Amino acid sequence: MAYVLHRLLQSVVVLFGVTIVVFLIVHLVPGDPIRIGMGTRFDPEVYDALRRASGLDRPPVEQYLTYVGKAATGDLGVSFRSGQPVTHLLTARLPATVSLAAVGILIALLVSFPLGIISAVKNGGAVDSVVRAVSQLGVSLPNFWLGMLLILLFSSTLGWLPPSGYTPITEDPLEWAKRVIMPGITVGVVAGSILTRYVRSSVLETLSMDHVRTANSKGLPARLVLMRHVVRNALVPVITVTGTQIAAILGGVIVVEVVFAWPGLGLLVYDAVRARDYPLLQGAVLLIAVIFLLVNLVVDLLYAKVDPRIQLGGEQ
Amino acid sequence: MTTRLAAGLTLALTLAACSGGGDAVDVNGDGNDNEAPSEAAGDGGEQAASGGTLAAAIAGEPDQLDPHVTTAYFSFQVLENVYDTLIEPDVNLEMQPALAESWETSEDQLTWTFHLREGVTWHDGSDFTADDVVYSYNRIMDEELSPSWRFSSVESVTAVDDQTVEIVVSGPSPNLLANLGGYKGVAIVQQDNVESGDVTTAPIGTGPFSLTNYTPGSSITLEANPDYYGGAPEVSGVEFRFISEPTTALASLQSGDVDWTDNVPPQQVASLDGEDGLELGQVGSNDYWYLALNQEHEPFDQVEVRQAIAYAIDREGITDATMFGNATVNQTAIPESSSWYTPYDTYSYDPDQATSLLEGAGVDPADIEMEIMVSTDYPETVQAAQIISSQLSDIGINSEIKSLDFGAWLDEQGQGNYDMLMMGWLGNIDPDDFYYSQHHSDGANNYQGYANPEVDELLDQGRTETDEAARKEIYDQVATTVADDASYIYLYNPDVVQAWSSDVQGYEVMPNRAIRFRDVTLN
Repeated sequence: MAYVLHRLLQSVVVLFGVTIVVFLIVHLVPGDPIRIGMGTRFDPEVYDALRRASGLDRPPVEQYLTYVGKAATGDLGVSFRSGQPVTHLLTARLPATVSLAAVGILIALLVSFPLGIISAVKNGGAVDSVVRAVSQLGVSLPNFWLGMLLILLFSSTLGWLPPSGYTPITEDPLEWAKRVIMPGITVGVVAGSILTRYVRSSVLETLSMDHVRTANSKGLPARLVLMRHVVRNALVPVITVTGTQIAAILGGVIVVEVVFAWPGLGLLVYDAVRARDYPLLQGAVLLIAVIFLLVNLVVDLLYAKVDPRIQLGGEQ
Repeated sequence: MTTRLAAGLTLALTLAACSGGGDAVDVNGDGNDNEAPSEAAGDGGEQAASGGTLAAAIAGEPDQLDPHVTTAYFSFQVLENVYDTLIEPDVNLEMQPALAESWETSEDQLTWTFHLREGVTWHDGSDFTADDVVYSYNRIMDEELSPSWRFSSVESVTAVDDQTVEIVVSGPSPNLLANLGGYKGVAIVQQDNVESGDVTTAPIGTGPFSLTNYTPGSSITLEANPDYYGGAPEVSGVEFRFISEPTTALASLQSGDVDWTDNVPPQQVASLDGEDGLELGQVGSNDYWYLALNQEHEPFDQVEVRQAIAYAIDREGITDATMFGNATVNQTAIPESSSWYTPYDTYSYDPDQATSLLEGAGVDPADIEMEIMVSTDYPETVQAAQIISSQLSDIGINSEIKSLDFGAWLDEQGQGNYDMLMMGWLGNIDPDDFYYSQHHSDGANNYQGYANPEVDELLDQGRTETDEAARKEIYDQVATTVADDASYIYLYNPDVVQAWSSDVQGYEVMPNRAIRFRDVTLN
């Protein structure tokens, strides 16, 4: 329990750092949002008035402190473009992104575990070579390109799946599934390929450990040795990588969401960057950072469950 | 002074077919906390699925839906079907009755009387009256909203009775009709809808469709208005889906997921023509792209130098590379399809002519170091600049491309920090729109510093000349003089390119990119 509190406190400190970085980055993006919003109707008086109204005329430090103060109470400001509260915009988009990321990571896990384990067990064989080649390819494929290929094949040519759009799972699960499958695969392939390689090397390493040799020499059935002694041990490093992959997926869905017109956070960030919508951009990045921290926290806590040898807290 | 540019430029992104240029999301902030906020929402989504709803893929999401405030083309694509204007352009861009059934001008040309259609109702069932027109126009003028420049000659707008509106102008205004009807930004809005703030997310209009559902980031659904004055639309509704990636939009059309799109990858237009089950609509638009040389900077103050550059540029090459040929090269602003078109073809691609003009002006091309200012927000300008730069080097002129985001670009233009720039003007209808603010020495957008007293006089006359033939003559003269002086170097008029399923019938492509689904049927 003390450890959980300690980790939470640590996360808050990191989050505070994140706000500084986000604030700086967003203000370093070239382009003046007020100027862009005004188009060719440039009127110095209107411009000054709008700058004052948005608080952009105040010193950066003051702007930052105001921002953090409000953010702490859940007020992330109001979007420049639409005039809507940022919190509201983010929460409206979160389900779409979470459902896409969940499907992506599920696909990645479903693919990587069997492939990684088989590949390790058949180390050096034909199956291993194929798996290694395919996973290498999967790591190198650009999201964007893979998404386009899927659309061309399954929508344009075969006509099996709708190429774009989103239906909330609560509204029509079947329709949701039809629309999530291609972006889900696109997201899942890269993460799955990376995970496959980790599972493979982790299992390989475990296979050569003493306790596995002992188990084998005791005459335990190979399958039992694999499941009970190898996979369980091999899981520990894989969990870490899965955690970072979840985070990577959340960051990486931007491109996939644009390709598949998936109305999640990624598309929102994309639009916010184009419009130099500072409040919205800050809010979105902050939210993604929070999710990142939460995922890391969960990963750390999971260690203990999987491998009792790992003592939480460090010193014990 | 000129929302046109901002509005039109947003649509240029659609054309350039590179990414959305989209805008932020609208969620109904007040009280209606659903994901699909709409006052009139009901179960529109469900009904929409029950056949007869046309699905249209547009390239981005509206920033908001108040027609008097937004300048985004994505908003107007939707609003065209929700709102009415007093009068409206037909497919030839001639003004036709809309909410006003007829109109006349007083003998001194200073008072315009509009007779409104009877029995028109708002989407919420209340009656449309002359007061709504007065409210809408005064709102634009009083609050100096983005289309307010269109009312610059208007002194007052009054309701004579429920069915009659009187507009008094400060001088004869032959372009008043184009200003009142050429643009959905001057739509007639409902006072209650504006004052409640709902207009930004749940607009109430008098148009052929009413808004029933808005899913942020995803789509807007409209439902046919059974009481529309022009008769209820044939389709039961229209769903606008926001698909920023052109390849995805086209795949959606090809797979039958959507019925219509204007987000077609330009390089694929040619191969689409003749594809089974698809119709391709391609017409010349009244938009134009141009170069302007800063006449405050030497040696571009010399007309010969500007002409030399006009001769050194191969318009066909630029058009092929940036638009994949989906454009018509032009040397004046107004396209051939318009009744205001002026034939002019002085500047054929002729590097030798360019060289001898520079010689005649006593300018050594090697001494010219120029910057071509373009904007990354409009990728066609960046592509074109690369070609222009290489064409200029063929006659010995060194140029560098300065590529800025649009905000910075506008700033530099305003301060005169450029040698040459490329940009577009879009959505103009009346010749006054095409020339006055850009080429009158007092023009609000005359950033290139052009001053020709003869042109000034013609432009002032053109504003008030009510005889159409005489007016045409004036603008013919303006067009050729401006081109001769190379105040702008005109490049091309881009095409409007749209594609739809063969199941869609009765759809007509408008040269001003207005998208109307009211007369469309769906098999």
